[in-house]
Amino acid sequence: MKGYLDESNQRGFAGISSLLYVDTKLFVAIITITIIGLVTIYSSSGGELSLVIKQFTRILIGLVAMVFLAQVHPDNLRLFAPALYFLTILLLILVLLFGVGHTADRWLDLYFIRFQPSELMKIFIPLMLASYYSDKPLPPNIRYIFVAIILVLLPVFLIMKQPDLGTALLIGMSGAIAILLAGMSLKFFFATTFSMAALLPVLWMNMHQYQKQRVLTFFNPESDPLGSGYHLMQSKIALGSGGFFGKGLFNGTQSKLGFVPEHSTDFIFTAFGEEFGFLGVVILMSLYLFIALRGISISIKATDNFGRILTGTLSLTIFLYVLVNVGMVIGFLPVVGAPLPFMSYGGTSMVTLFATFGMIMSIKSHQRILRK
Amino acid sequence: MKTKARKDSIRYRRKIEEKYSWDRLSDSDDERRSHKKRSIIAIIFVIFVFVTYLVKLYEVQVSSYEYYSVKSDSNRIKIRPIQATRGIIYDRNGLIIAKNINTYDLIVKKERIKNKEIFYKNLNRLLPTTPADIKNIQNQFKNRRLKDITILEDITLEEYSKISVDQYILPEIELINKSRRKYVEPFATSHVVGYLGKVSDNDLESSVVEIHEGMTDIGKIGIERFYQNILSGKPGFEKLETDAQGEVIRVLEKREPLRGKDIYLTLDLELQKHIYSQVKGKEGAIVVMNPKNGDILAFVSFPGYNTNLFTKSISSKKYNELLQSPGRPLINRVIAGQYPPGSTIKPFVGLVALEQNIIDPEKLVYCNGAYTLGNHKRPFRCWKREGHGKVNLSFSLTQSCDVFFYKISELTGIDLMSEHLYKYGFGNKTYIDLYGEQAGLIPDRAWKSKTKQLPWYPGETLNVGIGQGYFLATPMQLTLSTAVLAGDGKTYLPHLLLGSKNKTSGEFSGYEHSENKFEAEIENYDYLDIVQHAMWRVVNEKGVGTASHLGKIGGVEIAGKTGTAQVYNLDKGRTGTKKLQDHALFISYAPFIDPEIVVTVVVENGGSGSGTAAPIAKSIIKHYFKNQKKQVSLK
Repeated sequence: MKGYLDESNQRGFAGISSLLYVDTKLFVAIITITIIGLVTIYSSSGGELSLVIKQFTRILIGLVAMVFLAQVHPDNLRLFAPALYFLTILLLILVLLFGVGHTADRWLDLYFIRFQPSELMKIFIPLMLASYYSDKPLPPNIRYIFVAIILVLLPVFLIMKQPDLGTALLIGMSGAIAILLAGMSLKFFFATTFSMAALLPVLWMNMHQYQKQRVLTFFNPESDPLGSGYHLMQSKIALGSGGFFGKGLFNGTQSKLGFVPEHSTDFIFTAFGEEFGFLGVVILMSLYLFIALRGISISIKATDNFGRILTGTLSLTIFLYVLVNVGMVIGFLPVVGAPLPFMSYGGTSMVTLFATFGMIMSIKSHQRILRK
Repeated sequence: MKTKARKDSIRYRRKIEEKYSWDRLSDSDDERRSHKKRSIIAIIFVIFVFVTYLVKLYEVQVSSYEYYSVKSDSNRIKIRPIQATRGIIYDRNGLIIAKNINTYDLIVKKERIKNKEIFYKNLNRLLPTTPADIKNIQNQFKNRRLKDITILEDITLEEYSKISVDQYILPEIELINKSRRKYVEPFATSHVVGYLGKVSDNDLESSVVEIHEGMTDIGKIGIERFYQNILSGKPGFEKLETDAQGEVIRVLEKREPLRGKDIYLTLDLELQKHIYSQVKGKEGAIVVMNPKNGDILAFVSFPGYNTNLFTKSISSKKYNELLQSPGRPLINRVIAGQYPPGSTIKPFVGLVALEQNIIDPEKLVYCNGAYTLGNHKRPFRCWKREGHGKVNLSFSLTQSCDVFFYKISELTGIDLMSEHLYKYGFGNKTYIDLYGEQAGLIPDRAWKSKTKQLPWYPGETLNVGIGQGYFLATPMQLTLSTAVLAGDGKTYLPHLLLGSKNKTSGEFSGYEHSENKFEAEIENYDYLDIVQHAMWRVVNEKGVGTASHLGKIGGVEIAGKTGTAQVYNLDKGRTGTKKLQDHALFISYAPFIDPEIVVTVVVENGGSGSGTAAPIAKSIIKHYFKNQKKQVSLK
C-alpha cells in the first residue's frame, strides 16, 4: 500500500489517472491515434465537420465506457461474461431476423440507436473464454478446448450468415488466440488448424458471389482493374504517391477526389498514408505496436489466468485488427470489411475498442491491490 | 500440531482427490511461466509482422514513389483539348464557301459506363436504338482514340429538351456544343473544296499534314486537305483536376487555341454554281481558268456529292453507296479523270508539225474520207465519209479533218510528236494545289515496250495524231495547254489559292503567281497565229467551223476546238446506249484578243463535242462576261 501511494505522489497526472484506474501510457497512445483519425477524416472528407463531430461524440462515449469499465473489478467482469456473451448471441440471431444494412444485414435498429452486435462480439469472445478458463487448470485438456471451440464457432457461424466474412474470421482468430494463450498444445493447435483448412472448400461453396470475387481479386488484382481490384489499386496508388513525407494535410488527391473508396472507414489508413507519407505511417504503426506490447506486458504481470488470458487476447486481437486492415490496403490480404482500430469512422467499433482498453486497464489497475 | 491421525487423514484425502479429480491440480507458477513463454512468442511474432509491414510500406511509398506518383496524377489530371476554330473558305469575291456552325451532340463519357449491358438497355429505353446504332456505339467503344461515345449527332436544343425529360434513365449522357463544318454549296464545290473527317491512322502517317495534339478533325480531300495546315490552326488545352466520377474540380492550366487562317480561293462561286446547274444528270468535268495569272475561276467535276454528309461520321454503308453509285461521284474528274482528248489535240499536233518544219502552213492534203497507211487493210477514216477534198492546216482545224492529221502525224512520227507535246503541258501533272492529280499519258516507243512489251506500230501514231489510242489527258491538262495557246506561249500554272488571311491580325498573304509561270517555247509566232486563227474560225466561220453555231457571245469573240473522243474498252461489260456514246470535249478561250478565260468542257459519253460540250462552254462564257460587266458597272 505504501509503495502504491508513493508512486502516485511522484507523478501528478498519474495520480489522477491511477485514481481512475486508467493507464496513462495506453491512454495517451490511444488518444493520439484518435486525434490522427479525426484529422484524417476531416481532411479526406474534404473538410466536412459534421463527420468529425459525430466521430468525436463517439470517442467521448467510448472514453466514458473505458473509464467506467476500468472501475469495474475483474471479478465482476468474469462473473458477467457468460451473461454478456449469451445476450450478444441472442442479438446476433435477432440481426439475422430483423437486421438492416446495405449489402449485408449487420446493423440492429433499436429505434434510438443502431449498432452492430458483431462488433460487441469482438470483445465478448475474449471475455467469455478468459472467464471460462479462469477456474480451469491450465493448460486445458481436450474437453475444455472443445467447449471453447464451440463457444467461438457459434457466433462465427451467426456472423458469417449475415454475411460478414471479415468480422467472422477476426472473431474466430481472436478465439484461437485466447485458446493458445490458455496453453493449448501447439501440436494440437496446428492439427486443428489444418483440419479446419480442409473445410475451406465447404466454406468456399457457402460464400457469396461478392466474397468469392474479393478473394479471387486478391490473388490477381490486375485481372479486373475497374471492378474489385480497383479499390486495391487505387489504395496502393494513394499510398505510393504519398512518398516519404506525404502530400501534406488536405492535399491527398486520391482520397479527396474519391479515387480511394471508403476513405473514412476501411481505407482510412490509405488516406492517412497519402497525406502523411511513410514517416506518418511509421509513427502510426509504432503507436499500434506500443499499444500491443503494453497490453501484453500488462498480461504478463497479471495475477490470475482470467487477467492474463483476457488482456493478452484483447491486446493481440487489436493488433490483429490493425494487421488485417493495413494488410488489406497494401495488398497483403484480401479486401475484407475490417475497420482500423481507433481511426475508422464508425460508432459501435469505436465504443467497443475503448471498452476493450477499459477492461485491460481494469486488470492492470486492480492487480496491485490484489497483490497486496 | 499435527498428529499421526491428521497426517493419515491428509494422505487419505489426497488419495481420494487424486482418484476422483477430473484433472491434475492447477499449479499457478507453472501457468504463469507458460503464459509468459507464449506471450514472448506473441511479442516476437508481433514485432516480426510489424517489421514486415513496414518493409512493404517502404517499398510502396518510398521505392515506388515515382511510379505511383505518376499514376496518381494521371488519375486526377485530365487534359481536355480545345478545338481551334477552322479557317473559313471564301471565294474570290468574298462569298463564303465553307464555314463553321454550332451544333449539339449527345455523348457519353466512356469512363462513366461501368456495365455495358445495362447501358445498352437503358439507352434503348431512352432512345429506341437499332442494331446498327448499337454496332456503331460498339465500334466507338473499341476505338481507343475516342474518349467519348457519340450517341446522336447534330441535334437541335429542341430535340435535346425532349430527350432530357427522360434523362433520369441514363444520367451519364451529356450534351456538348460542337463546331461543325458546313459547306454552302456542297454539290457544286464537292471536289474542289473537299471535306473534313476524323483523324485516322492514315493521317497520322501522312507527311503532308501536321497533326497537333488533341486534333479531332482533319481535311481529308480537296482544298480542305491541301491547305489543312493553314486552315486548321492549333488546338489549345485545358489541364483539369477531376474527381473519380470525372467531374471537374478546377482548371489547373489553360492554353487558348490558335485560330486557323481564312482562305480566299480563286474560284468564282456564282460561276461555279451556274456551271453546276448546266450539267445536271451528266458526268464529266469543266474548268475555267484565267490564262493571265493561272487563277481557276471554276472547277467542276460532276456529278457532285453532298460533302456535308462527311462532316458527320458518315456510315460505311452510305459511303459505299456513293462509291458504287453509277455516276461515280467520288472521282475528281478534273484532275483524276484521264480522257482521250480527241480532236482537241489537233491544234497542238498541227503546231508541232509546223514548228518542226514537217509541213509549211499552206501544205495541202487531199481528203477523200479515209486514209490508207502502208499495207494496213483497214483504212483510217475521217469523220466526214465523203471527204473534205484538198485541205490545208487552218481549214483542217476548222473542219476537224482527220485525214489531214493522219497524214501530218505520219510525217512527223511518234518520236517528234511525243517529245514536243510535253511542252504544252501534256503528259505531266499541272501541279494545281490539290492532291490526287493524274499525269495523263503521251504514249511513245519506250512507254509501249515497257508496259506492253510490244513495238510501236505506225498506225498508232495516226491515232495519237487525232487524240485517240493510248493518248490520255486530264481536263486540267487540256485547260493548261489551251491557256498556253491563248497566252501566246506564256501562261501560269493553275492554282486555287488566292491568299490566306489571319483573322486576328488581319494580315493577308497573297499567292505569288509570278513565281509559277508556265512557258512553252514558241519558235515562230506566225505559226501560233495560224493555229489561233483556225480556232477562231472553228467558232466564228458560219457553216464551216465545227462550233460555228456558237458565234459571238454578247459581243465577245471566242476561239475554240471541238473534240469527240471515241470510247472503246473503257466501259467494257457495261450496257446501255449512253455508255457507248463518245466523250464530248470542247476547249476554248475568250475574248479572242487578249483572252481572259480559258474554258474546258468534258462530258463523258456526251455525244459530240460540237453538239454537247460547245453549248455548255457558250453558256459559261456568256455568264462570265455578263457578270463581269455587271461588276464593272457596279464599280
